[in-house]
Amino acid sequence: MAGRMSAIGDPLSAEPPVAREELEEIFEDISSHILYDHELHGCLNCGICTATCPSAQYYDYSPREIVQLLWTENLEGIYDAMQEKIWACAQCYTCAARCPFENSPGGLVMIMREVAIKHGMQSAKEVLRPFSRVLLKVISTGNQLAPNMITREAFPDWGPNVSKVDAPLNILRKAIPVPTMHTMDTAWAVNLKTSIELYTIWEETGVLDQLETVDENLFDVVCDVMEEKREEYEEWLEEQENADDD
Amino acid sequence: MANSRNGSENGAEGAEGAFVGFGEEWRQSNLTPTEARRATDWVEARIDKRSMLTSKERVEDIRDAMWQLEKDGEILIHRIDDRHKPVIARTLYGWEKKIPTTNLWHHKSCGQCGNIPGYPSSVMWLMNQLGTSYIDETDQTSCTAWNYHGSGIGNVVSLAAVFLRNFHQAYISSKSQGLDVGTYFPLVHCGTSFGNYKEMRIFLMHSAELREQVKKILAKLGRLVDGKLLIPEEIVHYSEWLHIMRDQIRDRQTLDVSNVRATVHPACHVYKMVPEDVIYDETVLDGNRVAVSTGLLQTLGAEVVDYSTWYDCCGFGFRHIIGEREFTRSFAIDRKIKVAVEEARADVMIGHDTGCITTLDKNQWIGKAVGKVYALPIMADCQFAALALGAHPYKLAQLHWHASPFETLLEKIGIDWEKAKVEFESYLDEVKAGRIETLYDPKRAITSGEGYVKPAALTDAGGNK
Repeated sequence: MAGRMSAIGDPLSAEPPVAREELEEIFEDISSHILYDHELHGCLNCGICTATCPSAQYYDYSPREIVQLLWTENLEGIYDAMQEKIWACAQCYTCAARCPFENSPGGLVMIMREVAIKHGMQSAKEVLRPFSRVLLKVISTGNQLAPNMITREAFPDWGPNVSKVDAPLNILRKAIPVPTMHTMDTAWAVNLKTSIELYTIWEETGVLDQLETVDENLFDVVCDVMEEKREEYEEWLEEQENADDD
Repeated sequence: MANSRNGSENGAEGAEGAFVGFGEEWRQSNLTPTEARRATDWVEARIDKRSMLTSKERVEDIRDAMWQLEKDGEILIHRIDDRHKPVIARTLYGWEKKIPTTNLWHHKSCGQCGNIPGYPSSVMWLMNQLGTSYIDETDQTSCTAWNYHGSGIGNVVSLAAVFLRNFHQAYISSKSQGLDVGTYFPLVHCGTSFGNYKEMRIFLMHSAELREQVKKILAKLGRLVDGKLLIPEEIVHYSEWLHIMRDQIRDRQTLDVSNVRATVHPACHVYKMVPEDVIYDETVLDGNRVAVSTGLLQTLGAEVVDYSTWYDCCGFGFRHIIGEREFTRSFAIDRKIKVAVEEARADVMIGHDTGCITTLDKNQWIGKAVGKVYALPIMADCQFAALALGAHPYKLAQLHWHASPFETLLEKIGIDWEKAKVEFESYLDEVKAGRIETLYDPKRAITSGEGYVKPAALTDAGGNK
């Protein structure tokens, strides 16, 4: 886990307590989320969610606690949980499938993660640092994973048998009988126009703003890639127009 | 390795095996081991059943809302019709779900294509064997939901827009071949995409505000149909197609797999997200488990072995597999691999989702570091089915990308893997020389833009342009 932030109200902490206004603003962002009422209906504290939660077995994390904090509008507790606990959730949604109240603790965690990012919480930045390769790939190409990301250096704990046939990656990729998968930088070949359309979605939905908040350097790199691809697409369109004129 | 907070089997043996993580008010029950076992058995007898998922009040068939919105002129539904030769399946509550069996648009999985390439190639190969028509095209993005669930970057508007952009492309892709729009129906490969798209469809139907926001974006992209959002009649996972086609697949089976003890790992995002839309079948483990994969294995004649942690996730965690692998590998080994090997004495664990196969396959070797030595083959249902039909284990099922040892399993079903490996290595020389075998004509993958070749029938002069 990322380094634990000082909990608010901690008598040993030298940090000043978080201003009430900020706590209220955070809760307002959570409770006004378009999905909030869809994910929270009530809670009897039965604990089925926590009993079945994989993360509760390994972390100081409980979906029941998350639901209770939100249901009782415990603003300090919500802020505290957003420092670390919400990042323990494995997003399996076992809690949601089993909750008798039809709450989705996993869905509530996602709302809280979005809000943690919106508020630029340091804990979110630290937690997401190892995820930057995935973020770069998905935002710039629309694929979340590429063959050349799976290396022994990146995943030493996967052992020596990640490929059981010794051959260059590009040859192994061409030996896959699916033509769209003869690629290295993306999981499959993606049309240039497809990527350009995706950039519009990122811009229109505030995803790039989220990225800038958590990692300014990565945001700059992504913007450069987007600009290059858009220029490339414009050039291709011009070529087509010229060819049509001919 | 991360230390389990539940160190003992029943979690009730004093401080060492104590549960934590329940909040400060949590107190130990101090049950004796016998009492704890009895309590656990009582819970499992109830929780381990389909009824655990069905006792809900707010359940609705979202398709009712879709038909109403279409009637109101707000959306257009991409129908599954005679062109797709649908077969009806029954879901959790006994509702009907139309599964298209042909003219399918492959909506690929980035994790499968990037890391488990034999997964999609097996699906397409099975379709070739069955004479199923399909298109695998380059104008598609991933669902972007792995990233969202891992990082929190993204939001319901971006996820819904990506969903409808991809499905709109599926709708119009047939135009590149001179066919009517809607000819191809999307078949979703990834379990997370499947769960995410079903959630997004519900959110879109429930929220006029969300529809409005997404509509503006899709209008900008030219991705509306008659000015309306296009919504699929069904969201279909490839494992559902396999389930429906399982008898036809068995008819082409060439290898006997009856001596294989198989465990199934049902994927969380396949059956826990929008559970009301998942196929259940009374003939498959008494209808208490999601039917896909298990039904296929039973039909092929394998011995499917149930096990106590079938409902657990794999440990993928989205973020965890990248940034907190101690959790991922501990959970995968302790809660799935170990149980499958020691309790179920399984020869293989079969999955139907990207992250699960990756997690369970890649996280066994590291167990040696703590004396947890397991060697359980992990593969997707389609790969196992393709092998049973005689597919090449390397050229087609691409098993060399799997870290778990599959060789003993292959021997058990009569495949000479050493011979096959030599054949594949020899094929790599052909590949180097540019002589590559593919499952379909590569030209069909590109439907617009750079590299698109118009079919002769669509050009004025009758020739390619």
